[in-house]
Order: sequence, then structure tokens, then C-alpha cells
Amino acid sequence: MRCFIGIDLGSTTTKAVVLDEQQNVIGRGITNSRSNYDTAAAIAKQEALVNGRFHLFRQALAQTGALNGQLEGFLAQLERDFRAEQYLEQLDDLAVTCQRSLASAKFGDDAKVVGEALDEVFRRIAAEAPALFAPGARRKSDFFRDIAGSQYLAAGEAVAKELGIRYDYLLNVFDRSIIEVENRVYAGSIRRHLLAALERTFEAMPGTAGRRTQVEAPVKGILDTEMEETYVVGTGYGRARLPFSKEHVRSEILCHGLGAHVMYPQTATVLDIGGQDTKAIQVDPTGIVESFQMNDRCAAGCGRYLGYIADEMNMGLHELGPLAMKSTKTVRINSTCTVFAGAELRDRLALGDKREDIMAGLHRSIILRAMSILARSGGIRNEFTFTGGVAKNEAAVKALKELVFENYGEMTLNIDPDSIYTGALGGATFAWRAVVEEGKTAEARA
Amino acid sequence: MTCTIGIDIGSGAVKTVLFEVDGDRQTWLAKRCERIRRRDPMQLAEEGRDGVLADAGLDPSAVDYIATTGEGENVAFATGHFYSMTTHARGGVFLHPGARAVVDIGALNGRAIYVDERGKVLAYKMTSQCASGSGQFLENIARYLGVAVEEIGPLSQSSEDPEKVSSICAVLAETDVINMVSRSIAPADILKGIHLSMASRIIKLLKVTGIKEGTALMTGGLALDTGLIAALREEIANEKTAVEIVNHPDSIYAGAIGAALWGAFRHGRLAALQAQAA
Repeated sequence: MRCFIGIDLGSTTTKAVVLDEQQNVIGRGITNSRSNYDTAAAIAKQEALVNGRFHLFRQALAQTGALNGQLEGFLAQLERDFRAEQYLEQLDDLAVTCQRSLASAKFGDDAKVVGEALDEVFRRIAAEAPALFAPGARRKSDFFRDIAGSQYLAAGEAVAKELGIRYDYLLNVFDRSIIEVENRVYAGSIRRHLLAALERTFEAMPGTAGRRTQVEAPVKGILDTEMEETYVVGTGYGRARLPFSKEHVRSEILCHGLGAHVMYPQTATVLDIGGQDTKAIQVDPTGIVESFQMNDRCAAGCGRYLGYIADEMNMGLHELGPLAMKSTKTVRINSTCTVFAGAELRDRLALGDKREDIMAGLHRSIILRAMSILARSGGIRNEFTFTGGVAKNEAAVKALKELVFENYGEMTLNIDPDSIYTGALGGATFAWRAVVEEGKTAEARA
Repeated sequence: MTCTIGIDIGSGAVKTVLFEVDGDRQTWLAKRCERIRRRDPMQLAEEGRDGVLADAGLDPSAVDYIATTGEGENVAFATGHFYSMTTHARGGVFLHPGARAVVDIGALNGRAIYVDERGKVLAYKMTSQCASGSGQFLENIARYLGVAVEEIGPLSQSSEDPEKVSSICAVLAETDVINMVSRSIAPADILKGIHLSMASRIIKLLKVTGIKEGTALMTGGLALDTGLIAALREEIANEKTAVEIVNHPDSIYAGAIGAALWGAFRHGRLAALQAQAA
């Protein structure tokens, strides 16, 4: 089948969206951006195509009715099993890479015991792996670097203490190795992992094993179907370094404007708060950008601000919004710089202000920054769409609604749960138009 | 004779010193430095106090004055608190009596202080509302590059083609480094570029204070970063100021030393006032 792909290489995460012939989104993929942009783009695309296969599994299995009533549970289990397979492969790779890094590190006589510590650390992490992918398990993030990193830090601290070695050594070996590991694409193993995961799922859900053949046939059929990358359009922070020809690159602003228009055709103003960019975009009724404004290179007012605060509080990013929602009185935050706001947070806590009230102040502070960027771009017009990672945060949304109402009056505010993919969706739409409307061919690919 | 403790609560570490002051004779008895790393600074201040007393074999009752500086305003057991500008000035001159400027670069802030020969502040300048160019910033980058803290200096000094960096946000630094690594720039050149960028800001701060010649002592957490010192010397060679940059092995304690010495001074004054009243 023909696929049309958009890749948004952002500063923090790289997103990909796959459209089919009818412009339906069939797959979305996300990964963390890393030092090798080709890898980040390749993995995001691979993730979107895997997600697309799951979409096709769902369609095919729903049609045959082989799993009636159990379809969603089966697919969710299959995905967890698949993720666990992927994780274990990367973990093995990390263990080997760490030992190799150790050989080149200058730890002198300590190298031998550090090597033993590494073996023990990885033995523990591997043992903990199944629990990470169990139903209902909560992970801080879905990216290998983050999951393996936090597991490694915890196990490393314990093992270093037990063996009486410097924890710094273990940290250093990890820092040396992780970049190498995360820059590898494990494309060859996807099919194998999916088939292995399928076996595990039949085991985990014995009731479905009886219908093994009815389930296996369509799944294998879809695995054999080629998902042809007809046309790919790249955008985002790292677009200039993507291995694409100019033809295949569009600006972030154009892609976000078009993506928001595809999601909400009546959109006039778009606010996108991403990891390290805040953009305010005005679009015309066809989705063409009329004007825009962006922040400068500073983390205040971007998603990374909240990420930093979450680290300071030792909380997950997704826990900040709910905490701030409990506030009864918003504390005013004076620092502009993210790092200083972190220090102000500590001071405020020491002075006895409530955590939830300080959180509410920090959320309001981000939105105040966004309001000034919006004002510079030409203000807020109906309908107003909020996109980017921060749009998922209820406290940020609440602060935005209040400030928009105070300054502009009643507006329709659109927020899509998949808004993080807006730029990639815009890119995929450009790819679809290039082929279907302008008749461009795959040969134009770089 | 006055026994005094100085505690400097920074954003990266808590530094504690113990002094005995007898007229003009100042004897340094003990020192402790603990990196905060997500621990409670107030708790570390207490541990620092107990630690230096244990090292010197003194009983808590022997202490006449406990002075705090930095973010230590809320230390419950402190006798008094001193503004960090004055403590760094005093501590800097104690470590290097010839210094006419003290440049303190810590985890979050940087400041340049122009001082007289007795450690009195004549003028000062601090970094603004942004943490780029701070120690935190450098640490973030080193961690991403997989470079241990002690390797930073030597690696930076090995660079022949430093990568120019302008003002980068300390929080977004990691992304910028990812971008540099993706352009195949060597860690040594990245670190050197950052050192040069920090150095040019520091020199600007220093110039604003009005100092034209003499010795500037580096204090704070970055004082022992040989890469930064080398970059500062390079930058200053391009300027037409005759300021010499030096550091001291105990540079990190400057604020705590200044607090202890000012504490002893204030204790003496209070004792004199009480004697007068009686």
C-alpha cells in the first residue's frame, strides 16, 4: 500500500505520521531526538510504520471477528510484549557497549571491580524488565534512554554501595555508552520481535490461543504487506540536517499551520508550545500561514521549563499539571530564567509556600510568556488551537483559558489529544499533496 | 580569642570552615565541602558544622559565632548572615592578599568584585537573569558528552579549533550539544568554545567593575577548572587590560572564609559594646 509520511524533527522529540491514500492517519511514531538526526528520523518513521501495522491488525482482526470482545485487550498485550522484546534487545546492546567503554576508560586498578559491578547492574535491570511492561505499569517515559537510564541509576547506586566502589565510575560508563546505543536502528529485528511477541501474547491470554490460526493468518498477511514510502516530507528544528533534498523539506511554521488546519478546519490562531520552541501562528481559512512569532533561544516559557521543574521536584512531567490543579492561591514567580525559577521554587518551599500553589504560579508564568508571543503575532482569533506537548497539561490549559478570556473574551479553544503530532501531520499532508495533487513521484526522493 | 564557623550555602555545594581569630592572627582549623545533589542544604549545613568541629576536636560550646552566607538566610542555628558580595571579597583577599578583584563563578551565578587591600567591596557586577555561562551549564554539557568533571579542563586545553558558541540557555544546552555532535564537532572543541564564551562574559563583568590592573582571584566552584582559567587568560590577552587571573587550591571556600572572618569581627564589636554598656 502507498504511504505518505511526515517527519517532524524537534529539539526534544522526533515525530512521524503516516497517511494512507484517503488522507487517513494510520500510524504515529515518536522517539527522542539525539545526536544523529538520520537515526532519529529513521526511528520515528519506523515507529509510525509499526503503529500503522497495529492499526492494520486491528482492522483486519475486527473484520474476521476472530477476537470478538477481546480485540483491544489482545492488541494492547501484543504491543506491550513487542515493546518488551525491543527493550531487551537494546538492553543487551547497552550491557555489551558499557563493557567496551569500560575497557577504554582510565579507571586503573578499579576497572576490574567496575566490570563486575556492571554485570550485576545489568542482571538486575534485566530481571526488572518484565514488570516495566506489565499491564498497567507506569513508566516515566517511553524512550529507551529514559527507562534504561533511570533503572541503571537506581541499580548502579545500590551496587556501588554494596561493592564499595565509586558511583561516579558507573555514571561515567553509562554516559559514555548511551549515545552509541541510542544511535543504532534495530530495523532488522522488528518482524522477529512481533512474531515473538505474538507467541507471548497467546501465552499471556490463554483464551485466545484456541483461535491461533484465525489470528495468525491476518497478522502475518499484514506483516507481508509492503508499506511503500511513497513520499516523505521533513520539518522541525533539525530539518536542515535531514538526509532529504530541498523538495522534501518544509518549515515548521508551514507544517504546524497546515497540521492544525487539517485537525480543525476553522482554526485561525495556533499556539504551539513544544520542548524548546513556543510559536504563535495565524492561518487563513485554507491553512496557509499569514504571520507568526517565536521565542528566542531560551527555555523559559517552553515545555523544557516544566521538564526542568519536574526534575527539581523529583516528579514525573505528567504529575505537575494535576498537582497545580489542587492550588487555591497562585504564587507569583519572579524569575524569568528556568534555572533561576528552579532555585526560586526551592526558596519558596523553604519559606513554607505550598507545592501546588507554587506549581500553579510556574504554569501561569509559562502561559504569560506565550500570551506576549501571541500578542506579537497578531493576537488571538477564533477558532484558537493549542498544540504541542504542553497542551496535554491541564494546569497550563486552565491558565491559558483564564488569560485568553481576560484579554480577548470568549473563544473556541481546540486541543487534540494527538496534538504533539501536528507538525508531522502537516508534513504528511504536504507529502500526500505532492503525490496525489501534483503528481510527483517517489523518484524525487533523496 | 574568637572561635568562628563560616557556612556558605551555594546552589551546588555547601562549604563550611572553622577559624580561630586572635587580633590580627587568623588560624584556619578545619574545612568541609559537600555537593548538594538533591539533598537538603539545611541538613548539609548542620553536618558541615558538626564535621568541622569534629575535625578540630572542639566542643560546640567553644564556638562564639556561626556566620552564614549565600542562600543560608534560614539556617536556624546561625548567629548571623552576611551578604555574599562581602564574604567573597573578604575570603578572596584572605586567600590571596594581593588580589584586587574576586571573580566568583558558581553553579548558578557569576560575579566580579573590585576590592581594596582589606577586602572591602569597592564595586561589583553580577550576571543577569539567565543561567547561561554558569557552572550548571558546563556540567550539563560535560555529562551529555560523557566527560568526567576532572577531564573537562585538560580536554578543553587540547582543542585547536574551538566551536564558537554565543549565548545559549543552560537548560537548552543539551540540545545545542546534540546539534554540535551531529555536525561531528569534537568534545574538546565544544568544551573549549564554551569556556571561551564564559570567559568573554566574565571579562566583561570584570571590566564593568572598573579594575584596570592587578590580580583577579577566581573563587567558587569553577575556580579550579583549568580550561576556564586558560580561556580567561587567552581572552584577557586580547583585551588591553593588565589584569592577571589567578586561582587558589582553596578557592571554593572563599565565601565561607569571608563569613567566618566577618563573624569574628562582628562578635568582637558586639563584645566591646556589651562591655561598654556594663
